[in-house]
Amino acid sequence: MDAIVNVETISRRFALDNGSTRQPAHSFVSALTNVSLRVTAGEFLAISGPSGSGKTTLLNLIGCIDQPTNGHILVDGVETSHLKPGQLSTLRREKIGFVFQTFNLIPVFTAAENVEYPLLVQGVSSSKRRERVAEALESVGLSARANQRPDLLSGGERQRVAVARAIVHRPALVLADEPTANLDTHNATQLIDLMHGLNRTLGLTFIFSTHDARLLEHTERIVRLTDGEVVSDSSTKGGSRG
Amino acid sequence: MGKFLLLAFRNIFRNRRRTIMTLVMVSGGVTGLLLVGGFFAYMYNGIREGAINNGLGHLQMFSAEHFTRDEVHVLDTGIDNWRQVAATVKSGKHIRGVAPRIDFYGLVSNGNKSSMFMGSAVDPDAEQRLGFRTNIAAGQNLSSNSSGEIEALIGAGLAKSMNVKVGDGLTLLAMTSDGALNGIDVQIAGIVNSGIKEYDDRYLRITLLSAQRLLKSDRITNLVVGLDATKNTDEVYDELASDFHGQSQKLVLKKWIDLATFYNQVHSLFNTIFIFIGFIVFFMALMSSVNTLLMTMFERTREIGTMLAMGTPRGWIVALFMMEALVLGVLGAVVGLAAGNLLASLIDYAGVQLPPPPGSTEPMKFYVLHVPSLMIGSSLLVIVSLTLASILPAIRASRLQIAEALAHV
Repeated sequence: MDAIVNVETISRRFALDNGSTRQPAHSFVSALTNVSLRVTAGEFLAISGPSGSGKTTLLNLIGCIDQPTNGHILVDGVETSHLKPGQLSTLRREKIGFVFQTFNLIPVFTAAENVEYPLLVQGVSSSKRRERVAEALESVGLSARANQRPDLLSGGERQRVAVARAIVHRPALVLADEPTANLDTHNATQLIDLMHGLNRTLGLTFIFSTHDARLLEHTERIVRLTDGEVVSDSSTKGGSRG
Repeated sequence: MGKFLLLAFRNIFRNRRRTIMTLVMVSGGVTGLLLVGGFFAYMYNGIREGAINNGLGHLQMFSAEHFTRDEVHVLDTGIDNWRQVAATVKSGKHIRGVAPRIDFYGLVSNGNKSSMFMGSAVDPDAEQRLGFRTNIAAGQNLSSNSSGEIEALIGAGLAKSMNVKVGDGLTLLAMTSDGALNGIDVQIAGIVNSGIKEYDDRYLRITLLSAQRLLKSDRITNLVVGLDATKNTDEVYDELASDFHGQSQKLVLKKWIDLATFYNQVHSLFNTIFIFIGFIVFFMALMSSVNTLLMTMFERTREIGTMLAMGTPRGWIVALFMMEALVLGVLGAVVGLAAGNLLASLIDYAGVQLPPPPGSTEPMKFYVLHVPSLMIGSSLLVIVSLTLASILPAIRASRLQIAEALAHV
């Protein structure tokens, strides 16, 4: 199978703020150390680990919203470490969908307009946008709530809108950072089912970070991080759901 | 683009209280500019029409030589066949009348004492038809039908200096057009008080016929042209300029604005004051908007991070912030225009009086004109101010580090 993501011995260090903007930082903290990871198309992969283990940092690097200190990352065959900001932006726009822990919907847009946004940025025609938004909202079961603004939606509904937004432009990869962290058990379970279903029906590759045991139960492959290092990469051959 | 404009519009109303405060400040600036500018425009109009109706006229016609060389003898740079010229001018569109004038100087004597005067000769009927006013302090204006005696108006200062009153006689001495000395006796018909001492100390006016007799010339210095409305000045100027092109005696037309020194000085002074006020409004709008937009940017850091993460070009973020400022500026301008025009109408309706200006005993009316160019200018000023104010926050927003912005609480 082709690798959709290929992470080759990456490290990420952050400078510790010494309180001065003029002097260079004297000390650094390592968020990730020599991490390697290969993700094939259609995988449903969880990155697990305690707080501060580097899950979000790894997702940010795979999602091209941060750059590794060392190492290389290939997304859909594209080496990302040499890309310019504009090229990285184009790569994210076309190949990656994001789901955030706090949903991060645009509050003044309706659910449909939020889902439409990635297509708008891609310059898709309005008729095509309408069609794809309707499909995406239907796939997450929110067609009836299309014209509601986020403040009128429940937490679970907001996250489903976020998922619809992440998949509407048919990306090669969906990255979800702690997608169930702000949801109750019922909504978390629904979201897991939804993501798993989209993974199977649409063949979308999902990489998500979590320490939610409910989510891990249904995950085929779990990469465990501790103190910025991969401590295990286990396949459970199909979750119990779906 | 439509969706982006919609996003900008909706973003403005996220924090309504702050938006209303910004709108109040911006629209207040527009309202202030409209009121001050409208009042200045009313003053300009008053000074302009005052100057025109006090004898300046809308256009004045001279011989070209009048501006190229000094006179050796009186009226040797005057207009020759002025009656024919006047008849041609009168036949044009928008012409209300034509008044011939002669400027001359000489000595005035009461038998015991002589003094220099600066004389002006007019056709009283023509002046009256054009509605030109003279500030007569005592006596009456010149009349073209006076029998026997030659009438004269003299300035209050000159009358005092010569120790004469209305009805008294004076002798005028002047050089004729061929260089000889000539004199006529005049009777004082009225005493003029213009309010300008230097002018009143030398002022003397007689009829055109009397002056032509004194100066022994049929020429005049200039023709003053009065129109039905000041707005037609340029049109009539162009027509007359083409009508008199190629005449044997080359003539030059001057518009009122070229001759109204006082108007131009006042206009220049008040324009400077207005520009200064405009600059203050611009600066206030700029600084308060920068602050507001920076606060907006900090509040929306995570949202901007999300938009950037989804591949939104950084230029779009800049455009979004600038568009929000632009929409806010347009709204502020619309509210300011409405408030400014409403207030102006109320002030005009109330008939507010201001204390008399220096040199006047009459109170001044506080009237505000509705000037379209002022409305456009003040609106553009605040729109540009706000758009400029958004540049710094917009650039800062577009340069956010995505990972940091997403972690922003």
